[in-house]
This record gives sequence, structure tokens and C-alpha cells, in this order.
Amino acid sequence: MREQLLKSFVDMDEQEAVRIARELVDTDGGAVAVLDTCKEAMEEVGRLFEAGEYFLSELIAAGDMFNQIMEFTLPKLQGDEVTSIGTMVLGTVQGDVHNIGKDIFKVMAEASGINVIDIGIDVPHEKFVEAIKEHKPELVGMCCLITLGVDSMKRTIEVIREAGLRDDIKIIIGGGRVSQAVMEHVGADAWADDAARGVRLSKELLGKE
Amino acid sequence: MISHEMKKVAEERAARYKAAVELKEPDRVPFMGLGGDVVAAYAGITSYEFCFDYEKSYQATLKYLREFPSDQPLMPMTSLANTVAALAFVDYPDITPLVSNIDGPTNDILGVKYFRFPGRELGENSSPQFIGKDFMQPEEYDELIADPVKFCYEKIVPRTITGLQDLQSANALAAMARLGIEKTRQGAAMQKFLLELQKLGYPLSGTSMFLTPLDFIGDFLRDIPNLIKDLRRYPDKVKAAAEALLEPLLKLALAGKKTGVEMSFIPLHFNEYLSPVLYNEFYWPTLKAGILGMLEEGMRSRVFFEGRHDPHLETILELPAGWGIAFFEKTDVRKAKKLLQGHTCIMGGLDPGMVIGSTPAKLDEHIKELLGDMMPGGGFILSLGVNNLPRETPIENIAAVYEAVEKYGKY
Amino acid sequence: MPSPEMLKLAEERAARYRAAIELKEPDRVPFTGMGGDVVAAYAGISSYEYCFDPEKSLQAIIKYLKDFPSDRPIGGMSGIGNAITQLAFLDYPDLTGLFAMVDGPTNDILGVDYIRFPGREVDEYSSPQFIGAEYMKADEYDELIADPVKFLFEKIVPRTTRNLRDLGSPAALATMARFGMHKARSGAFMQKQAAELLKLGYKSEPASFFLAPLDFISDNLRDTVNLVKDLRRYPDKVKAAAEALLEPMLKLALLGKNIGADMAFIPLHLNEYLSPKLYNEFYWPTLKEGILRMLQEGMKSQVFFEGWHDAHMESVLELPAGWGVGYFEKTDVRKAKKILKGHTCIMGGIDVGMVIASTPAKLDEYIKELLGEMMPGGGFILSPNIGNLPRETPIENIAAVYEAVEKYGKY
Repeated sequence: MREQLLKSFVDMDEQEAVRIARELVDTDGGAVAVLDTCKEAMEEVGRLFEAGEYFLSELIAAGDMFNQIMEFTLPKLQGDEVTSIGTMVLGTVQGDVHNIGKDIFKVMAEASGINVIDIGIDVPHEKFVEAIKEHKPELVGMCCLITLGVDSMKRTIEVIREAGLRDDIKIIIGGGRVSQAVMEHVGADAWADDAARGVRLSKELLGKE
Repeated sequence: MISHEMKKVAEERAARYKAAVELKEPDRVPFMGLGGDVVAAYAGITSYEFCFDYEKSYQATLKYLREFPSDQPLMPMTSLANTVAALAFVDYPDITPLVSNIDGPTNDILGVKYFRFPGRELGENSSPQFIGKDFMQPEEYDELIADPVKFCYEKIVPRTITGLQDLQSANALAAMARLGIEKTRQGAAMQKFLLELQKLGYPLSGTSMFLTPLDFIGDFLRDIPNLIKDLRRYPDKVKAAAEALLEPLLKLALAGKKTGVEMSFIPLHFNEYLSPVLYNEFYWPTLKAGILGMLEEGMRSRVFFEGRHDPHLETILELPAGWGIAFFEKTDVRKAKKLLQGHTCIMGGLDPGMVIGSTPAKLDEHIKELLGDMMPGGGFILSLGVNNLPRETPIENIAAVYEAVEKYGKY
Repeated sequence: MPSPEMLKLAEERAARYRAAIELKEPDRVPFTGMGGDVVAAYAGISSYEYCFDPEKSLQAIIKYLKDFPSDRPIGGMSGIGNAITQLAFLDYPDLTGLFAMVDGPTNDILGVDYIRFPGREVDEYSSPQFIGAEYMKADEYDELIADPVKFLFEKIVPRTTRNLRDLGSPAALATMARFGMHKARSGAFMQKQAAELLKLGYKSEPASFFLAPLDFISDNLRDTVNLVKDLRRYPDKVKAAAEALLEPMLKLALLGKNIGADMAFIPLHLNEYLSPKLYNEFYWPTLKEGILRMLQEGMKSQVFFEGWHDAHMESVLELPAGWGVGYFEKTDVRKAKKILKGHTCIMGGIDVGMVIASTPAKLDEYIKELLGEMMPGGGFILSPNIGNLPRETPIENIAAVYEAVEKYGKY
């Protein structure tokens, strides 16, 4: 059944994937099996995206399927069965109110085992600092869509540095308008202009691959 | 720019008018000037052009005012008052001026069924006209009484404005957008005109308008013949409707205060149709309350007593002295003076029929006598009984009036 | 009045641009200039002032264009498109154009739910932004398909426009009148702006606007995330809806012909979300049909291929040579040239991230190499890959780009 779930998920067969997952989740040890299989499927979708076979619409559809299945799977898992490979504070930087890129990334990051603390859109610099103090993440993810976000990221990172927190965390920036040059300019550790790359690099920053 | 001299002239003219309103003797009798369709004719344009073409209308008015200077300016782009729409939008004070003053271009956009314009529904040299109809049925009185503003908006506006007949439609929304565009264009042109007026030494003052609740019902809702029947068939409902309309009509008039308006214009219509009994029971109470309500807020009134007001003259004395201006059409101003001297500023005195049909010599004599009788003691403003001279009015007669004012008008 | 030299300069600039579109080599590579939020910052005003104060905005644009002249006047980011309302008022061609750009004051009047303005919903130094939401439910596809214009007017306009929420209400009608008043004022200002820009040697050329039907559904009605699911759940409805929207969208774009527009701007959005299979089945057919039909009517297109368009490049070749301009964001213009040379004018090439983050020396080198590869054979317009430089963009980097264009841009 795990094979079928994996295949239908990766093939974007929503109805079939949800049906199998519902069946599997009620079997002995099924919840863990569903979780692991869906994680594996998401990873495969990300790989296909980076290979140019899948596109953003597949990432969105996969994320939606993942959320649908998790809705009935997570309540059936014991606390220690949901393991995390690290924590990330994630938000769209001040001045930018877009959320689509952040949301696509978020579900893929969660599927890869990252515990994501989503602090929303148009996030003031200080709120990043507060969230870092509160959640003590290994990673901070900053998103922007519009070009204005570049300066906003730069200032946010400065504020984090002034708060003495920069050395405790790794920072990855993401969004349609970021690049290597932008990453160097704002002082981040990694950049991604798509969610799949973002998740892969996040895991690298966590030393998990 | 406006010269120092012309600013001074404007101040003198305004002071002259103000003195009369305050029942005093100015340096010369204030004179309203003789306007109407003749202004267009004098400039060689049609009444259609006067009502629809901003530039031509403004130029015609300025030409006339240069030639025939008076103490108050005449205005271009004749507009008719749509008080139903104004009332419907009484809670939107920035919108009421757009929907209430309807000139030619605005009427092209809205299509108001009360109005007829030259070059559209009328011949191109006719005057703009108001034609009432029964846009409300007698069984709707209760609805009117319950919420006059809502009733006017939801029921009467769609029935009387073609462009707004389906309020929810894109047509209605488009009509309002077009109205906003047109009024703004017009406003820009009007600003230029007002500057020219000031260069000619004219004082500028806005006016508010207040309608007697019963006139509102008679002209805009039921039509006069029906209202006359209603007074007998449903007296309580008519009375309750007049009372319900008082507050919103007052609110409408007082909105002008924000822009510095100190005088409201109240054109009466139904007054001469009514016996003193009916007048005092149905008409006068809410009119009086309106005048007093505005006065409390610092706004005087100029009441146009259309037709013969003779049977109701005494009621004016119920108002406090200095309340405003009584503008008479057919009532003899001498008779009015006997009763109202020291209490009410009187306006009028010139019969348009005479200006049209008489001769310069006779007019000179007429003005001389009139001013001789009316000027002593102050509190008099010289004006036509109805300020609309037709296109064919002999220019030499007009000139004779203006000259006679200068000759005999000094105190 | 513009001097004869400036009129000549304006002609030269327009000719340069036209030559590139016609796939020829002009005298120098046409350069759109680089505008955006930095224009406001350069003039020392906030983005709020840039969006809400037309006089300050114009002065900022003039200052920037004087210091950084290019071949097109930079319009800046002072408004957000409002295709929903444009389509809803498609049958009122005098008004549809007025909805094309929602500037700050217009948004204060309309209250558009999917627009955020600096100094209002976002910080006063932020950019105006478009944020779609799910304004249409999946079960409403049939209604949209049956009559798109009616559906948009009756259902979507009230949901997306706070002050038109209740279409039949006096509040909604007042909103439209205010909208008209504002547009009449801003229209007068636009004429002034065009005259000022002509004095600097810029012709203000009217442009039309077309949206790929699927982008309209995705951005304005369903929101991207939902639309992506719809493609799998209700493929036939999505396809039918795109087809139903094509005619009204075309009619809208072709209205631009009335104001002399010979180019339609088509910003794509969903293109990079779709695999070639989905793109060719759902997206491209109505986009292609739109481009071809406009071309038949004498209107070329400038398509902004947002994000990575690499997977769909070949489809561009299905259009006839000389159809218009392919404006690329992330797709490498060199790669695009290999495929499209002699067929499509290519626009773009300057990575905004580099302009923000690089140095003058590196930018000089970058532009030199870029132009060395892109200019030969003509048909190239140099432009930033996205039309908005943020406020903090280093001015010396901007200057370096403009200088490099002069140094290396001559044919």
C-alpha cells in the first residue's frame, strides 16, 4: 500500500492518494507509514521540480495533498513519532504582503521534517528578533516577492546582528527576486528562488544532507 | 488678478445688499439686475447654447454684466433644482450638489423626468422648465412618513431619473461616475467664470435652498392637483408627511453652512393655491419651523412668495424682525411695505411685463415713483417679480431701468 | 511649449524603440530606463507621497528623468491594475479606461480589497501591492462562463470593492460620483504631465492592456493556489471559463485603439507555474488567440514573461514574426535570442538584483558584455528584468548603467 500511495502522490492523483492514505492510516503502525511515505513523496516531487519535470503548479498541488492527508494523520501519531530535524522561523519581510511563495515553501519544509514557525507577512524587523529569542531556531527564512523586499531583508538581518543573534542562526532568503548577488548584499547564508531548492539548502544548512 | 478698485466695488455692492437685509438705508437702493433668456439673446446665442455650452454661457453672462452692472451677479448655465435627489443623498453632503443642481449637460447624463431643456425636449430658444407629475401614489404616504430619505432614494429617484431607474445596475453606477466627471469639468470652468465676475466687481456668495415640505410634496411627489385632493381626503397623512420632511429638508439647507452660506432661498409655490385656513393648517407651520430653525443656526432666508400672497401676509409678522427677505411676485410691494416696514426686508417691485412691453420713458417714470415710495426707511431691494426676461425684451427698456436706478436710487 | 529640439528628441526616441520592435538595428540600443520606488526616494519623498500626491509625483519623475534620460518615460509604480472593474464596465467605453489604474486617491474612494497602498494598508515607504484572494467559489464557474461581464459586475465587484459592496445603495452611487470627480481631476493632471514630459523629449504613448484569461481567473477570481487545484478537479470548466473570458478581454484591449494605442501590454503570471502540458492545454490557447486577434486589428503585444519561461519558449514561435515584444524576467535573454532572433523583439537583460547589490565597475562590465551579445542584428530593447528598483538602490549603480548604455549601446 505504501508503494501505491507513493506512486499516486507523486503522479498527482489526488483522489487516489487520499483514499489510500485514509485506508493505510487505520492499520497498525499506519500513521507513521503514511507520514513517512508522504514525506518521501514530497521529496520526490521536489526532486522532479528541480529536474525541470515538475512546475510550481505541481508543488502547490502536492502541498495541498500533503496538508489534506496530514489533517487526518497527525492526530493519530504519538508525540515522539513526529521527529523534527530542526526549527525555522519563517516570514515575509516588512513592507511586502505576499504569501504564496512562503506558503509553498512552508509545507515542503514541514514535509522534510523541519519544524516551521510561521510569523506571517509584512513582518517588522523586531518581530524576527523576538521570534528568534522565543523559539531559538537553527534557521531563519525570509521571503519577499517584490523588489522592495531586498532592502527590507538587509535591514532585518542588520537588526538581528545588532541584537547579537546573528551567529546563533543560519539565514536563508527566498522569493522571486533574490539571487546570489542579493544574498551577498543582504548578508544571508543561502538563497533560493524556488521552494524545492529552498528546502534542499535548508537541510544542508542544518547539516542533514 | 482682481484690481484693488474692483475689490472695493464688490465690497460696496455686498454692503448695499446687507444693509437692506438689516432694514437699513444703504448709499443706493440695492438692485438685483434683470436676467433671464435675454442674456443669451443679447450675446447672439441660443438658449440651448446658454444651457449646454459652458464657454458660450459664461461669455454671454459676462458680456451682459459688463454692459448692465448690478449689485448681485447673474449666473450662467441655468440649472433646475432636483430636491428629491438632493434629499435622497442628504447623508452624502459632497454628492448632494451634484444631483440637486441640474443643468443641460447634467440632465443629458441623468435624464430627470421633471425637467425640459431647450434643444432637447424643447425648442432651442425656449426656457428650461419644471413639469411635475404624480410620481408617488396616495397609498405611499405611510412609507414617505416612515423614512422620507429612504423613500425618496428607493422609490422616487428610480421613477424620476431615467439614468437611475435601476439603482443596482451598471447603468446607474455609470451615470453617477459620468455625473462626477461632468460636474468636475464644469467646476473647473466655473472657477474661471467666478474669477472674471470678481474682476468685474461682483461679490460672491453661495446660497442654500430650502423647500417648504408641502411644496416638496406638491411639486416633486404628488403633483399640485392631486395634493389639493389629498388635503381633503387624507389630511392627517399630508400633515404627518410635511412634518416628517421638515428635518431632512432643514439638514439639506444647513449643509451650506460649512461653505459659508448665510442665506437660504425658499421658493414658495403652493402658497397662492391655499385659503388662509388650509395655509395655516398645512403649509405655514413647517415653513415657519424651517425659517426659524435656520435662523437659530445663523442662516437667514429669502422667501420667494410666488403669485399673490396677499391673504397670508400677516403670518410673516409671526417671524422675528430681521429674519430675512420677502421677495414678492404679484403682491404689491407698497402694500407689503405698509405691513412689514421695520420687520422684513422687501424685494421685488418690477413687473417683467412692463419691462417687456413698455417704453423707456414710461419705465423711467415707473421706477421713479416706485423708488420714491419704497426707498424711505430702507429695507428694500429692487428686483424683477420673476427674474426671467424673455429673449425678445427690448434692450432699450432694460437700459432704461438700469439708468433710472442710477438716477433715482441714491439715498 | 516644448522646443523643436525636444520634439525632435522625442521622435528619435520613439523611432529607436519602433525600430527594435520591427526587428531592425536603430542608431543606439533602445533603453527603457529604470524606474520604480527609487524615483520617489531620489526626490526625497515617501512612496506614500509618490502614490497620493500627483504634483510631488510629477516633480519626482521630472527630476529623475532629467538626471537619468532614457528612451521611454519611466511611469513609476504609482498604481495597480483593476481588470475586474474594467471588464464589469466593458459596455461603458467612456468609463472602462478610468478603471485601468487604481492610484492612491482612487483606492481611497473605491476601497479595492486586493490592493495595498503605502501609507494606508502598508508602511509609507513600501510599494503598492496586489494580493489576490478567493473572490469566486469553485461552484460559480458556470455563472462566470454564462455571462462573464454580468457575473463580474453583480458578484465580483461587490466582493472586491468595499465601497461598492451594496450595489443599489446610495453609498455605492456616491462612490461612483466621487470616482468620477477624482478621475476628471486626475485626467486634467495627466494632460499636464504629458505636456511636461514632452518638454523633456518624451512622447506619452497610450498603451492597451490584455490579460491571459487564465491569469485573470487565477489572480482576480480564484487565487493561484485554488486555480492550480481547479486545473485537476474541474479542467473542463476552467477551459470553458478561459474561453468565455477571451472575447470580453479582447474587447477591452481593443478599446485602446480609440485612444491611439498600437501596443497591448500583457503581463503573464501563471506561465511559470505550469508544466508544458498544462500550459499548452489551458493557458496558451486563449493567450495566443488574444495576441493574434489584436494583431489582426493592428495592435502588437508586449508580453512580460514573468519568472522562468524557459519551458514554453518554443510556443512563442507559433506567432508570426514581428508580432511584438517578448519581455523576459528570469529567462536568459541570450538563450531567448538564440530561439527568437528575427522573429520576436527581445526586451530585458538587466538583473535588478545586480543593480541593487553590485558595483558600478561590475555593472559597466556586465552591460558591456550583455550589449555585445544582444545588439547584433537588432530587435533588442534594454530594460531591467522587473520594472521596480527599490528605494535604497545605490544611485551610483543606476548612473553606471545609464553611462554604460551610452558607452556601449551605439550601433
